[in-house]
Amino acid sequence: MARALSLVRHEASVDAPRLALGDDGLVERARRGDVDAFEQLYRLHAGRVYALCLRLAADPVVARELTQDTFVKAWEALPRFRADASLTTWLHRIAVNALLERRRGEKRRSARVSLSEDEDAAEKIVGVVAAPDVATAIDLERAVGALPPGVRRAFVLHDVEGYTHEEIAAMTGLAAGTLRAQLHRARQLLMRALSL
Amino acid sequence: MTEHTSPDDRLNELTAALPRDVAPPPDLWPAIRAELAPRSARTIQWTPRWRLAAAGLLVAASSSILTLFAVRAREHTPAAVAVTPRDTAPVAEERLPAHLVVAERAYARSIDALWRTLDERRDSLAPSTVATVERSLRIADSAIAEARSALEHDPANRVLEDLLVSNYERKIDLLRRATELAPRT
Repeated sequence: MARALSLVRHEASVDAPRLALGDDGLVERARRGDVDAFEQLYRLHAGRVYALCLRLAADPVVARELTQDTFVKAWEALPRFRADASLTTWLHRIAVNALLERRRGEKRRSARVSLSEDEDAAEKIVGVVAAPDVATAIDLERAVGALPPGVRRAFVLHDVEGYTHEEIAAMTGLAAGTLRAQLHRARQLLMRALSL
Repeated sequence: MTEHTSPDDRLNELTAALPRDVAPPPDLWPAIRAELAPRSARTIQWTPRWRLAAAGLLVAASSSILTLFAVRAREHTPAAVAVTPRDTAPVAEERLPAHLVVAERAYARSIDALWRTLDERRDSLAPSTVATVERSLRIADSAIAEARSALEHDPANRVLEDLLVSNYERKIDLLRRATELAPRT
């Protein structure tokens, strides 16, 4: 398992450049309404957006919808995109907003907001990884998916995607103290889940 | 992992090794494409004159469409109703847990890379060896499909998950050994 995933990691570990080669011209063409150019931007960035959505939502059906919403909103907002910004970060911000909107909608629909989910999480995660020799990518992915949503979002944006506290605060509106607490909680839960 | 690696460092190592790029479902772009509004569309200012004109057009268009439908209904059987992508059932991969979707994409990329290598070196292998490798790969594919199908119906089953993962591992191992059998040309 680790062998297969590490093979991929070598291709994917290089940070996406601010504007990948050719993005500049593609953004300009897409801004003017060129759907083919937007499709090329989609092909360049969809993998990272989908990976983020998959980890944030921990549900492939929701991840698909979030990715779809992200690119549809990006198309609508592209005329307002500043060319000196990172397209990847901009897309990620749209994805995070789409997730937050969705969560707000879910909370409104739900009669009860589970305040105990964080406490329950430890019990749910512990035991997910049974064997001591399976501390591999798939186990970590599973354990991340079992984290409570807020804690998971903090971990994915900070530890997986490498955003700074300030960037995450700008994306999510979280206070610095809350973010630090969520990151600490995430790491504690994951270390317990992976028996580290 | 060495004995001296702290849990924090180990978690960092594992996190750093996660793929940052996971290929989205292949049918996602057409669904997005269908939702993109033309960039040139402009907002109409709804002045009273425009409202009157639009109302007139709407009445005329509704009447024409109703007539057209009435005529067509007599002539033809009803056409299939277009369904937007979000109304359709999720494709099979979306019935798997998220961590397995990530793993499957990683396996697919590894398998593609190994296939490309094997294709480049295929001529240096004996035909009987190629036939054996291909037969073994078909068996591996069939085992993957079977485990996958069972998991789609029972996504929380850890035994089936392990079976799927080990079948992918077996296929990758088979491909890797086949590429090692074939010297570089």
